[in-house]
Amino acid sequence: MKTLKLAFIIGAISLTALSASAETFRWASKTDPQTMDPHAVNSAPVLSFLNNIYEGLVRRNKGMSIEGSLAQSWAPLNGENGWRFNLRQGVTFQNGSTFNSEDVLFSYERASSEVADVRSWFAPVKEVRAVDDYTIDFITNAPNPLFPDSIANFMILDKDWAEANGAELPARDAENFATMNVNGTGPFTLASRDPGIKTVLVSNSNWWGKVEHNITSAVFTPIGNSATGLAALLSGEIDFIQPIPLQDVGQVESRDGFKVLEGEETRVIMFGFGHEHEKLLYSSDVTGANPFQDVRVRQAAAHAIDIASIDRVLFRGKIDGASQLVPAGISGYSETNSSRPAYDPERSKALLSEAGYPNGFSFGLKCPNDRYINDEALCRAAASMFAAVGLKAELNTVPVREYWPQLRKDAFDMYLLGWSPGTFDIEHPIRFLMSTPNSEKKLGSWNFGGYSNQRVDELLPDIQQEIDPVARQTMVDEVVGITQAEVAYIPLYTQPLIWAAKENVNLTQRADNFFMLRWVTVD
Amino acid sequence: MAYFILKRMVQSVFVMLAVAFLAFSLFQFVGDPITQMTGVETSFEDQERLREELGLNDPFIYQFVRFSGNMLQGNFGFSYRTRQPVADMIADRVPATLELGFVALIISLLVGVPTGVYTALKPRGALTQIILTTTLVGVSIPTFVIGIMLIFIFGVQLGWLPTFGRGGTLQIGSWGSSLFTLDGWRALLLPAITLGVYQLTLTMRLVRAEMMEVMRSDYIQFAMARGVPMKRLHYKHALANTMIPVITIIGLQFGGVIAFSIVTESVFQWPGMGLLFLESIRFVDIPVMGVYLVVIAFFFVLVNLVVDLLYVAIDPRLRIRDVS
Repeated sequence: MKTLKLAFIIGAISLTALSASAETFRWASKTDPQTMDPHAVNSAPVLSFLNNIYEGLVRRNKGMSIEGSLAQSWAPLNGENGWRFNLRQGVTFQNGSTFNSEDVLFSYERASSEVADVRSWFAPVKEVRAVDDYTIDFITNAPNPLFPDSIANFMILDKDWAEANGAELPARDAENFATMNVNGTGPFTLASRDPGIKTVLVSNSNWWGKVEHNITSAVFTPIGNSATGLAALLSGEIDFIQPIPLQDVGQVESRDGFKVLEGEETRVIMFGFGHEHEKLLYSSDVTGANPFQDVRVRQAAAHAIDIASIDRVLFRGKIDGASQLVPAGISGYSETNSSRPAYDPERSKALLSEAGYPNGFSFGLKCPNDRYINDEALCRAAASMFAAVGLKAELNTVPVREYWPQLRKDAFDMYLLGWSPGTFDIEHPIRFLMSTPNSEKKLGSWNFGGYSNQRVDELLPDIQQEIDPVARQTMVDEVVGITQAEVAYIPLYTQPLIWAAKENVNLTQRADNFFMLRWVTVD
Repeated sequence: MAYFILKRMVQSVFVMLAVAFLAFSLFQFVGDPITQMTGVETSFEDQERLREELGLNDPFIYQFVRFSGNMLQGNFGFSYRTRQPVADMIADRVPATLELGFVALIISLLVGVPTGVYTALKPRGALTQIILTTTLVGVSIPTFVIGIMLIFIFGVQLGWLPTFGRGGTLQIGSWGSSLFTLDGWRALLLPAITLGVYQLTLTMRLVRAEMMEVMRSDYIQFAMARGVPMKRLHYKHALANTMIPVITIIGLQFGGVIAFSIVTESVFQWPGMGLLFLESIRFVDIPVMGVYLVVIAFFFVLVNLVVDLLYVAIDPRLRIRDVS
C-alpha cells in the first residue's frame, strides 16, 4: 500500500514536471495566411507559416544560407544540366506514411502545374526523374547554380494523402482539402484552423530533426490593428508579435518583462523613374518631354536625398543606406560598388542647370501608404528634399491594392518600390527590376519604368548560368556599375525588421521576416 | 395585412438589388484582386488566366447579373482570399456581431433609460449637469479612441479583461456563443461598452426629452393636481408613455449598431462581420464584400419591416388606409 502511494506521488511529481516544461506559445502577426496549401499562394505570410508544418528538400538556416532538409545532400549532375538530390531516409509524414522520391516528384508536378502560384520557381526545369526511392534528379534547361537556393520554400506533401483527399492540384478559386488540412513532415502540425481568427499548431513528436524548441502547442492570432496587437502583448495575452510600428519601440522597451528585436530585412526601398515615358504625366511646367530621361536629372534626384536625416527623423536611427538593389550580405552583393550617391544639394542644382532645368520642374511622385514601413512619411520627406533643389514633386499616395495596378498602367513619373530577393541572390532584382521588360521570357516584370540596357540584358543569362563564383561576381559588378552610373533606380535604405516579445521568449529573427517556431524557447 | 407584408417584401428585394448594384459598381475602383491573390513572381500570363477564370474580364453588368443570380439561388461564391465558401464565412461571423450588438444595446438601455429619467425629473440638479456633460464628451470622442482607452486601462494597466478576441465560446449547433462562458463575457464587456457608448447617449437624451414632454402634458398635470403620488406618477404614467417612441427609435438604431460595429470590431480584433469586411477590403475580396453589403442591407430591411408591422398592429388607422 505504501509503495503504491509513493508511486502515485512520484507519478504526480513527474506529471507536474512534465506540464511545467510543456509550453503554449501565443503569437500574433498582421496577416493571416490565406491558405494551408503550400503551392497555392506565393506570399510571405503563407510560406512563413507553412515552413513550420511542411518541409522542402533544402531549407534556410538562421543566417539565411541553404542547408539540407528532406535532402541530405545535393550535387550538380555529370554530363547533364541539373541537380541530383539524395533524400533523407526514415522520414515520415504527420499521418505516419513514409516519405520518398515519389512524394517529391508528385509535389514538383503539383507545384509546377498551371494553377500553382509557385510555378515560377520551376521555370528553368525541363524534367524531373525519380532515380530510386531516395534519389531524385532535377534536369534544367541550362546550367543553374542557383537552383537549390531558389527552391528553399518548395514544400513537399504526401502523394497518397493528396490523392486520397482530392487535393492533387492547389485550389485557386475554391477550397479543397489542402486549404484547411495539412500533412507535412515538419516540426509542427495543425491542431485547428479558424481562418482569420485562430490557428493552433502542436509539436510533431515524430519529427526527424533535432528539437531545439520547448513548445508543445502554438496559437497564432492575426491582429490587423497595430495598437490592439501591442496592447495584447503588453497585457500578457500574447508572447510575441511581428512586426510592431517604429513609434511603439520606446513603449515596449520602457516596460519590464518585454523586449524589442531589431534586425534588417533583405528588402531595399528605392525610387524608380519612368525611363520609357516620352513625357511627364503630372507636370505643370514641362510638356512634351521627360526630363528623367536625362541621366543628369536622375543624378540630381539621387544627390538630393539626405538618408541621414530620414534615418534620424523617421526611423529613429534604425536604417542603413543602400547602394544597390540588394543589401550587403546577400549573395552577389557588389562590394566594389558599395558607395551610394552623397547628399549634395548644390551638385543637384548644378546638374539640373546643366540638363537645362535651372529652375527645376514639377512632376508626379506616386507612393503606397500601407505597404512599407513609414512609406507615406518617407515620400513626404523625400518630396521636400527634392523641392529644396527645384524638383517639385506632386505626391500622390494610394493603398497597395490600387498601387500595383496604377504602376502597371504607367500612372507615375517617379515611384516608390521595395524589393526583397526571393532567392537571396542579386540575380533576382536583375531579372525582375533591371532587365528590359519581356513577357515572353518573363523578364523585367516589375520594371515599371521600362529601364533598359543592352549590356545588362546580355549579362543576365550568363549570370544565371555561371558556376564559377569569381567570374560570376565580375559580371554582377559590371551590371551594378552600369545601373549605378545610369541611376536606373535610387536605392534608399534597407527596411528594418522590428519584432517585440516577452523577455522570457528566445527566438531567431531571420532576414526574410519568416518566423520559425522550431527556434523558439520559452524560459 | 398579408398584402401589406407581401408588398413590403417585394420592395425589400428591390432595395437589396439596388444595394448589390451600388456595391458592385464601387468594386470597380477598390483595386485589383489578382495582385492581392498572387505572389510577386507570378507571371502576367498566369495572372491573366486567373482573371479570366474568375470572370473579372467580363463586362460589369454581366458580372453583376451573375452575382445577383447566384445570390438569389443561394450560391454566395468563394472568397478570393481564403478560398472558403462565403456563406460559411459570413455564417461563422454573424453570431459574434449579433451578440456584440445585442449586449451593447442592453448596456445602453440599462444605463441610458434610468439616467434619462433622472435627468428629466431633476433638470437642474448638479448630477444632471455632470451626466449630460460626460455623455457629451463620450459621443464626441471617436469610437476607436474610446476602445483603445478602455483596452489600455482595463487590459494593459489593470489586467482585468482581455484586450482582443472573443475568448471561450460555447458551440450551440452552428452558433458559437460568448454568452454562456465567463471567459466569453470577459472578452465581450469592453467591446460592448465601446459600441454602446454612442447608443447610450442617444437613448438617454431621447428618454429625457420624451419624459420632459410627457411631464408637461395635461393628463400628468391633472393627475398631479388630483394628488397621485409622485413615484407612481413618474414611473407608471409618465415612463410608460415615454417608452413607446423610444423603443421604436432604439429598434431602428439596432440595424445601425450591427452595421457600424466595424470600428469596434477592428479595435478589439472581434471576429465578427465588420472585421471580416475590413479584411476583405484589404485583400480586394470582392465576393465577401458583396455578400456582406447585401446581408447588412437585409438586416436594415428586416428591422424596418418589423417596425412597420408593429405600427400596423398598434394603429388600426394604417390598416384601414392600406385596404382602401
